[in-house]
Amino acid sequence: MEQNYDFNRIGKQMPYTVPDGFFDKLEENVMNEVKAQPVRKKATMIRMAIRAALAIAACIALFLVVKKVLPQDQDTATDDFENVELAFNNLSTEDQDYLLEVYQEELFLENDLNNLNDLNNEESI
Amino acid sequence: MTDDNQIIPLIRENAEKGYRLLMAKYKEPVYWHIRRLVVSHADAQDATQDTFLRIFRSFGQYSGEGSFKTWIFRIATNEALRLLGRNQGKATLSLDETPQVTLTMKADDYFDYGNAEAIRLQEAITALPAKQQLAFNLHYYDDLSYKEIAAVTGSTEATVKANYHFAKEKIIKYMNTNN
Repeated sequence: MEQNYDFNRIGKQMPYTVPDGFFDKLEENVMNEVKAQPVRKKATMIRMAIRAALAIAACIALFLVVKKVLPQDQDTATDDFENVELAFNNLSTEDQDYLLEVYQEELFLENDLNNLNDLNNEESI
Repeated sequence: MTDDNQIIPLIRENAEKGYRLLMAKYKEPVYWHIRRLVVSHADAQDATQDTFLRIFRSFGQYSGEGSFKTWIFRIATNEALRLLGRNQGKATLSLDETPQVTLTMKADDYFDYGNAEAIRLQEAITALPAKQQLAFNLHYYDDLSYKEIAAVTGSTEATVKANYHFAKEKIIKYMNTNN
């Protein structure tokens, strides 16, 4: 068996294709949607920030409640993630959207998970 | 190709012109990046549209400290993982998980069934955990440096190098055993 594989044989070829004119249509769809949505006013942004803060607080509270109810031997990173996810799933769709929008740059929510763990550890001390 | 340093001030001066310039440069790289992760054309289309809408809505949050390209790829990656997670009934897919996309690959209308080797390579890639797919795809197809990939994935350069190495080893093994 060969110990190596010559990637030059295939280069950057892929089996994926797109419909004709797809990228032009994609650009138009995005631009039309951008134009259709009004620019958010400052007051709306403040209301959104308050809603997001409330949603985060609710998420943390739910997480802490779930954490207390669960047995201690489930205290692993995997379970922590599942608990956050459970708490997140208990939020309304609208609040989930707000949270996701607020944290859209936080790719893996690791910092948030660590913060939640810190909060939980402080409480248990 | 327009420089990002021209696009950013243009968006601030004339949003529509700036957005069009941004899309002209990034719509294809972003679509293909997402497509390689989610595999299905319809899913890739949705996630690409959501990516650009998020970029435009949150442009004000771009601090200018990091690379604009990695900021865009970070949002695109986030959208792809979110879509993959939703398909599995979760908020998002974690980096350690392997997306469940293998079966959808051959069921997609926009798929070239004639290129057997390209199909095998994508089968090998899509069997990897997300973190290894990202390291491999962004380096191999998008020519991003390890440092740039680390910025995209919120990881370290050393971790990205390790993930790329593991990914390449597994792909080579797959290509040799399924030849």
